[in-house]
Amino acid sequence: MTATSNPAHGWRSVGFVPLAWRNLLANKPRLLRSSGGIGFAVLLMLMQLGFERAFFNASLEVIRLLDGEIFLQRASKYRFATKDPFPARDLATARAIAGVATAWPLYADWHHLFWRSPSDGKDFLVRVFAFDPDQPVLSLPELDGGPKGVSDLDTAIVDRRARRFLGMDPPPRAAELNGTKINIVGSFALGPDFENDGTVVVADRTFAKLLPGRGGGPPDVELGVIKLTPGRDPTAVQQAITAAVPTDIAVLTKPQLLELERKFQADVSSAGPIFAMGTLVGFIVGMLISYQIIYTDLAEQQPQYATMKAMGYRIGYLVRVVLEQAALSALTGWVPAVLLAVLLFRIVGEIALLPLHMTLELALVSLLLTLTMCLISAVLAVRRVVTADPAEVF
Amino acid sequence: VRLALAWRILTHDKGRTALAVAGVFLAILLVFVQLGFFIAVPRGGMLLYDRTRFDLLVASTGYEYQVQPGEFSLSLLDKARTVPDVVLAAPLYFGSAKWRSGEDGKAPDVFVIGLDPQARVFTADELNSQLAVLDRTDTALVDSTTRPMFGPLTTGRVVDIDGEKVTIGGDYVLGTGFMGLGVILVSADNFARLFPYRQLGQVNLGLIRLKPGVAPDPAAAALRKLLGNSVRIFTRPELEAHETAYWTTRTSVGLLFGSGLIVSFVVGVMVVYQILATQVSRQLPQFATLKAVGYADRFLGGTVTTMALMIVLAGFFPALVAALAIYAVIRDKTLLPVEMSGTRIAAVFAASLAMAAASALLSMNTLRRADPADLFG
Repeated sequence: MTATSNPAHGWRSVGFVPLAWRNLLANKPRLLRSSGGIGFAVLLMLMQLGFERAFFNASLEVIRLLDGEIFLQRASKYRFATKDPFPARDLATARAIAGVATAWPLYADWHHLFWRSPSDGKDFLVRVFAFDPDQPVLSLPELDGGPKGVSDLDTAIVDRRARRFLGMDPPPRAAELNGTKINIVGSFALGPDFENDGTVVVADRTFAKLLPGRGGGPPDVELGVIKLTPGRDPTAVQQAITAAVPTDIAVLTKPQLLELERKFQADVSSAGPIFAMGTLVGFIVGMLISYQIIYTDLAEQQPQYATMKAMGYRIGYLVRVVLEQAALSALTGWVPAVLLAVLLFRIVGEIALLPLHMTLELALVSLLLTLTMCLISAVLAVRRVVTADPAEVF
Repeated sequence: VRLALAWRILTHDKGRTALAVAGVFLAILLVFVQLGFFIAVPRGGMLLYDRTRFDLLVASTGYEYQVQPGEFSLSLLDKARTVPDVVLAAPLYFGSAKWRSGEDGKAPDVFVIGLDPQARVFTADELNSQLAVLDRTDTALVDSTTRPMFGPLTTGRVVDIDGEKVTIGGDYVLGTGFMGLGVILVSADNFARLFPYRQLGQVNLGLIRLKPGVAPDPAAAALRKLLGNSVRIFTRPELEAHETAYWTTRTSVGLLFGSGLIVSFVVGVMVVYQILATQVSRQLPQFATLKAVGYADRFLGGTVTTMALMIVLAGFFPALVAALAIYAVIRDKTLLPVEMSGTRIAAVFAASLAMAAASALLSMNTLRRADPADLFG
């Protein structure tokens, strides 16, 4: 038998996508309906997944910005955003360990400093970070004014992306922190998270003046930020520090610090299950919609499929056409959904000031979910073709 | 006839109809769940107020929301007590401390509420009678929804709170809401011991109870006049409006679940429309025949709308039952007061009807294609 005498071979040489593609295009209103239906299901999944990532990223962002490799904090500190400082002498102990290049303190407060914006004179709780301006242990994004600018007592740089009611964008010339007049000398773009509306960065001595330590002395250290001598094995240095400092001090690498926070958020915040549930519902709804579409399409085209069977096309080929069609309709839903999600993330992200971003990872995860959902429903629906009886055509 | 016809069409292909109902069921369930969260968040913020007995709330002018209320002078509450209509003016003190007896050596933050045990401020009488134990030195009642990371909450356990040894005098069920991971109740005297830098002369909130039958609005106006501009006075509805506005507009929570709510509604319309359009296009010859024998477009449209309503109704009630189950799970897992209410059921029911109407309207296009001449094409 030559290739041309078998019609199936003739079709094959043209390629098999065109048949699936033509099937898809045959009924334009239905195509619109299916891409709309699948698209909204995908959009739902994308939004839930995006929100979930935004939620976790918002609280992890500031930890990522810490400029160090090993961190010292009080062992009882269960999350980053809680005040549980330790004595500065423990950081000095760590500084003396071989392999430690620098060890500088980060001071922080989340619950005791109130920002009074000059615009409305109302007091709002803010998150405050402080460090030696010559040793900025926090890499502030889009810094305008520089950490050295805060060297003077009672000066600060503020977050341009803080919630609007704080009045930090554009930064005012001066404001008050707990009644102390503070000159604003610059700004950065960090953004709020689910608990903090805005951030202020001051020099260590300004912080000490605002919130003096016990007995009026220097405040305790919230986090020790350690950089290693190049070429040193971080694990070995970490162990050496752990052995040198008291047991109530935890010595953590950056991944460990991030993991502690992620675990805390996942355990107590219930954001994970909330968004996972939304994603699951999107997936199931999407599957139902695509099953409905593929099933109907197959039911309508059953005579055609039966005819092709009668002409000698193998079932494997027909099944493949159906699966390809499912994959194509997945794409026709996914592409507009991703585009719409980019737009929605932009809008919602700007209004809510959340790090809502369409990342490659998110796009790929959603594509995978979309393809899976459409292919599963295609497999469920394809029994139609398998059972198509050529005799029934007549 | 319309109803019977719609019924016949739907029962003709049971598998397909079951699929349709399943899709609608999920869409409506999703609307319920998103709405549940959307409303649960402000309710979570209202938890303490919802379970406290008062008619008016006195707060500082810097009042933000329950957890960040600001301070005002206790003397203002003494002044309020001189008003004949005022039965009770009880102060509440709030503070945050380190619970240094957590699991794994961790020290979670505990939200401390200081109150007068004699004032019986809670709605639950059971809790009010438990308050007597707070008169003992350094004794606290622990909210039973306090997270496991605080360690066992057994009565008699002595815990370290900011260096102070405090005995757990029992537990109570109120819910931590957004006050924190754990909440304890202490007497004002014990509060002063836990927070030595705080003065009991500065209070965070004042609960005012009026004589039975006294209208809160004029009483609030009278108190505003008496106490002046240094404090704010909320009636219950004003307080609820303030807290709801805070949670839905100040935090990103409202936006998050609000947008989820809208998308799930659209997904619902898409599902019902998808199913209707398929049904109609499958039955197109039959519809064309009906047209040919003289039934008007309006009749056919009515049939499609009836079908939409039937599918949506068949999906709505199981969704309601499932939503009740999911709310129970969420209540359990997140400790947010996600509760089903008559208005919520009515709202989702109305949304479901809107879903049916929108999708029926969209499928009319398909119906119009029903051409008797095509039958012989």
